[in-house]
Amino acid sequence: MSDQGIKSRPTYAPLAPDPSGRHHLLVVEAAEVPAEALAEGISPSAFEVWTVARRSAVPSVPAMEEAPGSVATFRSVTHLFSALEERLARETMGLRLYAAGAEPFLWDVWGRAQKAGLSRQETAFAEAGPKARRVYCVHCRTMSEGITTSIFTCPGCGASLFVRDHFSRRLAAFMAVQVDAEVPGEVPDAEELYA
Amino acid sequence: MTVQFKPAETFRDTFTYKKSPEDLLRFPFPFPEDSYMYSVNIEPHVRGGPTAAFQAQFDVDEHYIAECKERARVLAEDPKRCQVLPHMLTAEWDSLEMIMENLAADYPEHFTLSKDGDAWTWVNRPLGIQQSFIFGKAETLPCGPFEYITRQAQGDFTLQDQREDNLFVDGGMVTTQADWSLEFDIGMSFQEWHGPVPLAHEKGVFDRALKYLLRLQYGQPVRRLNWTMTVNPRLDTSPENYPVWGPDKASVTPENVAEKVHLRVELQTLYRLPRSNAILFGIRCYLTSVADIAKVPKWRRRLHRVLRDLHPDIATYKGIPRYQQMVVDYLAPLDDGSATSPGIAPDIEKIEA
Repeated sequence: MSDQGIKSRPTYAPLAPDPSGRHHLLVVEAAEVPAEALAEGISPSAFEVWTVARRSAVPSVPAMEEAPGSVATFRSVTHLFSALEERLARETMGLRLYAAGAEPFLWDVWGRAQKAGLSRQETAFAEAGPKARRVYCVHCRTMSEGITTSIFTCPGCGASLFVRDHFSRRLAAFMAVQVDAEVPGEVPDAEELYA
Repeated sequence: MTVQFKPAETFRDTFTYKKSPEDLLRFPFPFPEDSYMYSVNIEPHVRGGPTAAFQAQFDVDEHYIAECKERARVLAEDPKRCQVLPHMLTAEWDSLEMIMENLAADYPEHFTLSKDGDAWTWVNRPLGIQQSFIFGKAETLPCGPFEYITRQAQGDFTLQDQREDNLFVDGGMVTTQADWSLEFDIGMSFQEWHGPVPLAHEKGVFDRALKYLLRLQYGQPVRRLNWTMTVNPRLDTSPENYPVWGPDKASVTPENVAEKVHLRVELQTLYRLPRSNAILFGIRCYLTSVADIAKVPKWRRRLHRVLRDLHPDIATYKGIPRYQQMVVDYLAPLDDGSATSPGIAPDIEKIEA
């Protein structure tokens, strides 16, 4: 049940700097680089690291110049993304972008990277933190955050949705389809799967 | 014989879609043998073949006008069924040229393309369209070039960008699909897009198919047939509208199974495009009821055997277990057990009344 055999679901690996890169920027969804996000023997100092404090009283930091080995702390994920969009727009060839965090964060990073012209080979992602899913209702297009069960009620259209393993990197979300569309009311019990 | 278009037939609500006897015999029946498993069943897309559906590059049949009207209706309800990522504009023009030139060459009585340098004029008589435009200047058409031409063709189309040794589905016109979502899948790699298909990944089908397609040459299009089943002759079986058409599946009974259940065949064609190096992928949908299939002795025998012996994972993926046995039970008495000839040709010239 937890593996539906669908191959669009991304797989992740611990991070190490790509030797073909000129500069290595690592963005992290947490206040620290999670130890499990880095490959064995790799220290955070191999990267320019951006972290998120989730507090307001964090002094602003210069973030538009490449600063190997430095750590910049942002107040929120949104704050970090705002700076990342500006930074990527100023970058040139040779940047490698890394991200560590929960799956929706990783693919939100990818969306910004792609917009800035980076290819998949210029990015690498390590999953860390909760496994809850961001889920897209294919019927009404509502996004739901933090889904941990196989079946849930769409807050947009009220459908009982089954969460498929089919994943869109562009939407940074899994697809969900109405589970009782053929015989309304035939809804199996939800299972806790993605805590 | 000139085809008689049936502009008023419908693919939803009243479901007045019907096949003439001639249209039934040109159906691209999908099973070349009495059993079915996934394979890389790709062959050159050359004119001529086992049925009349293969006589043209982009097949036009008696449902042409009605299918174009149904497409326009779906787009009015959900414009995101046609999307092309911005870097694919050259591929859009390539597609327009490819489809216009082939339609005009295959059906001069219906379509004419005249060119004076970049100043082109397109005439589509069945739809009553005459359009002059400048090739390469999108503002001279009423909508984007890919949308413009695929509104005038039967079947879905996608645009594959080739990069990083992979193909990415970076555009499409998808209104007659077998349960996949362009809005969800756009931008995906070849393997991601085919992610939900069971068994075939393990058999290496997609790796081999991708390798083959990366080497696809301009001027040497290829094709394959794919199939599923659909209750009622409904073209728009999108995941978006599944809550609307899903209940149809529970409406099949032993009494109505032959009229309700349709074999849904996709004639898939792949064209390398000349300027963009992208691939135009045509997914042309044909619907034939089990009752019509039963009018062709070879086809009814074979469909019975294929469905009776189908791998359960494939049946589940195609969404047919709810009524599969009813179709088998209907066809079983019509299968006399005699041998069938290899290939998909109907082996009869006329449908007996």
